[in-house]
Amino acid sequence: MSTARRPRAVAGGALVVLALVPLLVSANVADMLTRVLAFALLAVGLDLLAGVGGLPSLGQAAPFGVGAYTAALLGKHVTTVGPVQLVAAAAAGAGLAAAVGWLLVRSRGTYFLMLTLAVGEIVHELADRWEGVTGGTNGLAGVPPITLYPGGAPVRLAGVLYWYVLAAALAGAGALWVVSRSAFGRTLRGVRDNEERMRSLGYRTFLPRYAVFCIAGAAAGAAGSLWAAQARFVSPADLGFEVSALALLAVVIGGRGSLWGAALGAAVVVLVREALSPQLGGRGPLVLGLVFVAAVYLLPRGFAGIRLRRPRSIA
Amino acid sequence: MPAWLSDNLVTVVDGVAFGVLLFTIAVGLSLVFGIMDVLNLAHGALYLVGAYLAVRFAGDGQAGLGAFLVAGLAAVAVGAAAGAGLAVMTRPLAGRGHLDQALLTLGVALVVGDLLSARFGNDVQSVPPPAFLAGSVGIAGHDYPSYRLAVIVAGLVLAVLVWLLVERTRVGALVRATVADAPMVRALGVDTGRLVVAVFAFGVVLACLGGVLGAPVLGAYPGLDERVLILGLVVVVLGGLGSVSGAFLGAMVVGQVEALGVSLLPQYASFLVFGTMAVVLLLRPTGILGRAGRSR
Amino acid sequence: MRGLARRLATVVAAGLVVALVAGCGSSLQADRQGAGDGPVKVGFLVPQSGVYAPLGRDMENGFRLYLDAKGGRLGGHTVELVVADEGGGPETGVPAAQKLLQQDRVTALVGIVSSAVVLGVRDLVNDSKVPLIVANAGANAITGEQRSDYVWRTSFTNGEVAGALGAYVAGQVKGGKVFLAAPDYAAGKEATAGFQAAFEAAGGQVAGTELTPFGTTTNFQPYLARIQRSGAKAVYCFYAGAEAVAFVKQYQQFGLASRIPLYCSGFVTEGGVLDAQGDAALGIKGSLHYSDQLDNPTNQRFVADYSARYGDSPTVYAVQAYDAAAVLDRALAKGTTGDAIVDGLKGIGEIDSPRGPWRFTDGHGPDQVYYLRATQEQGGRIVNAIVRPLTGS
Repeated sequence: MSTARRPRAVAGGALVVLALVPLLVSANVADMLTRVLAFALLAVGLDLLAGVGGLPSLGQAAPFGVGAYTAALLGKHVTTVGPVQLVAAAAAGAGLAAAVGWLLVRSRGTYFLMLTLAVGEIVHELADRWEGVTGGTNGLAGVPPITLYPGGAPVRLAGVLYWYVLAAALAGAGALWVVSRSAFGRTLRGVRDNEERMRSLGYRTFLPRYAVFCIAGAAAGAAGSLWAAQARFVSPADLGFEVSALALLAVVIGGRGSLWGAALGAAVVVLVREALSPQLGGRGPLVLGLVFVAAVYLLPRGFAGIRLRRPRSIA
Repeated sequence: MPAWLSDNLVTVVDGVAFGVLLFTIAVGLSLVFGIMDVLNLAHGALYLVGAYLAVRFAGDGQAGLGAFLVAGLAAVAVGAAAGAGLAVMTRPLAGRGHLDQALLTLGVALVVGDLLSARFGNDVQSVPPPAFLAGSVGIAGHDYPSYRLAVIVAGLVLAVLVWLLVERTRVGALVRATVADAPMVRALGVDTGRLVVAVFAFGVVLACLGGVLGAPVLGAYPGLDERVLILGLVVVVLGGLGSVSGAFLGAMVVGQVEALGVSLLPQYASFLVFGTMAVVLLLRPTGILGRAGRSR
Repeated sequence: MRGLARRLATVVAAGLVVALVAGCGSSLQADRQGAGDGPVKVGFLVPQSGVYAPLGRDMENGFRLYLDAKGGRLGGHTVELVVADEGGGPETGVPAAQKLLQQDRVTALVGIVSSAVVLGVRDLVNDSKVPLIVANAGANAITGEQRSDYVWRTSFTNGEVAGALGAYVAGQVKGGKVFLAAPDYAAGKEATAGFQAAFEAAGGQVAGTELTPFGTTTNFQPYLARIQRSGAKAVYCFYAGAEAVAFVKQYQQFGLASRIPLYCSGFVTEGGVLDAQGDAALGIKGSLHYSDQLDNPTNQRFVADYSARYGDSPTVYAVQAYDAAAVLDRALAKGTTGDAIVDGLKGIGEIDSPRGPWRFTDGHGPDQVYYLRATQEQGGRIVNAIVRPLTGS
């Protein structure tokens, strides 16, 4: 097969395996993989923001959590239709990003990172305190299972929920991929690599950065609704610093800029934390830390760095 | 003295004490970032190492000053080794950007934190202050623990020493020059590699010493490292990355926000620290004393 | 061609490994039921890492003490204890519970320290009809509006522990005001609300309430200063873990301990935190449903056995898990399906426990006596001595 068709064949094979998963695994594993998919969407959105846009953020848990709460609250009080919750959550995430982004994207580098951390922590505090809406520190329980269309039966089988989340995650990731490959994506890379030069070429650098910040917010919000659909429980912990940090680390493990790498990184992080940690008698953080250290040395360019034979001129 | 002032005088003093403690944590972080462009997210874990050293040597019953000095020496030794180790570990990552360093140092932080848990257990450990500082003094009609006054003194002494070291010695001049323009310093024949390792070690030693100093105030327990790290990052960013005076200013500001700010605005107490940082960064995007262009 | 085949093979192999490791495709089956023959699997979910790990360790010690004393059998069945790490909160606790329920197929679930985890797991437990015996989490809702046939609790309710003190403190301050302090999260709010309700019903007046930021406060000086300014005659507080240590120590360091009596929910001086507080804890009075100083015969035996085996005195957390094993012992005698166990639990009358006799309420929580405890020095150690039972639990 020619060079150009290799990645497509690999991608196709991966999709086939992903689609077959519910036929092969138990309910618990399907649930875990569902969470992996939701987290992967969050990571891919962050990769667009950090890897392609050059804006590493420690605050993506904020739109993620806002999306999760939006979906959960809709589910409890308005509608249980999954796709409606998904769209509403994405809008909520984008709304939050739009509200704070126009101030934040004026910063650069580490200062931007800390500002996103500040936003994340403030939103976390709000979720803790705003008991009437979020249920406070006890979280929002009793979220009904989603339905796939108005009037449909509630989805109770882990396998069916997995397929829904897979479809939604693929759609979201696909949209992000299209953005990354478009002219807008190239503009982003240009701004990331050399902002001065882009400005001298006549590009406005504020708008692309703001736009990608909002797009990442939308992706995070959508991921949050998928998370809520699986867990049927949302708590302020879903907005916490750990979520933001693990998402960013998933992006780094995966290789910045290649969106699919972030999805793999997300899988590694979630699997280590959920499949491995509960059985380690409390030594979970140790293993996670060792995984990170190993990833830095063994995967200098992340998972995405493994497959490349020839260095590519555009990252 | 007006009631408002006497009510809050103790709080202000306490804010200074807390700020001084934050400075010992933050200055190392700031120096390491300035000279190596490395964001050392293991800094909080290394503070916790110092705190547990205090638990180990001065933790039971009425420890004398001697036990604390021993803990301090151990902190210097362990900190120097850890700092040099971290410098060596991050050297292959030079030029790979902050995120890779973040990943590495966060991994190290998780490993160190868990090893401390395994060794010392998960219970909260408290360290009584040295016997002669165990009491309280009266300030404006309120009691105030003597040990915290000692922290203020010790911390200010440390701050002055660090400032002298950085601003008035030849080594300090080399450090400042490397922060500003490393290739030039290398061109002048100075081995910046060893300088960098030394600065890293020095920064980590300060974190460990901060742990020993702060143990009677903050204790030692799992999760303290994360709290200390986040506060340290806020201080460093607020004051300006790479600047020692910035770290001091940032630490004083955060210390007062956590003390006087909480006293005056208790309903917003949880939002004050991050809110302040956000406001400062929006008004001065590189921190109070940060240099423009030093953000990457 | 080589490269492509290699990559395709890797991807497909990874997928198959996942499938094999996980067991074959039951995620599309509406699933479950029947423990079958062999040992009964009991899931034990407690924190093994993070700030609540000491509680988890005490709970596991207590449960295992009972289990091993019965030769590893509860209700006549051999029990296989499957322990999982609840971690610091629902982000780790809920997936761990899901794994115990769906993959390990446990017959019953015991433990849980965090109220958020219980509330997140409640629907899951209810839908899969697996009995959950909560051995710590104190949220009012668990035995209140979120009660379920399958959720039972051998520990306490936040509001009740605090409320037990209300009338007593009202009698002590005789018209003076009391200041309330607790962390700003669900348990803190339930505790202060419970205390306030009972205190005001007994004629007391609250000087002020301070809900301190949860999980981030280690410096209570501004709040202690406010307490002093308020002119309160006493303080009621609720704290746990590192915050309990910091609050009590600073209460003494800033001079309040000698001037303003401190009352609390007993967790403030229970277990490891008491060691860390040292002398600063002397003179604090609190309410709790257990102390290792209780002198009934059951407790004396329990304390002796526990200390001999684990080298430390038992805490309330150990007793709660010990009793969970005891009730599971009686319930499993009825059968090993979820509904049989629930019937068994409903039929349990009085439980003879180291804390004293107690029974389940309609909400499936414990109807028990709360004791007034005072921290004192005895025989070179600082202990929670029992003053008397508080009326109205």
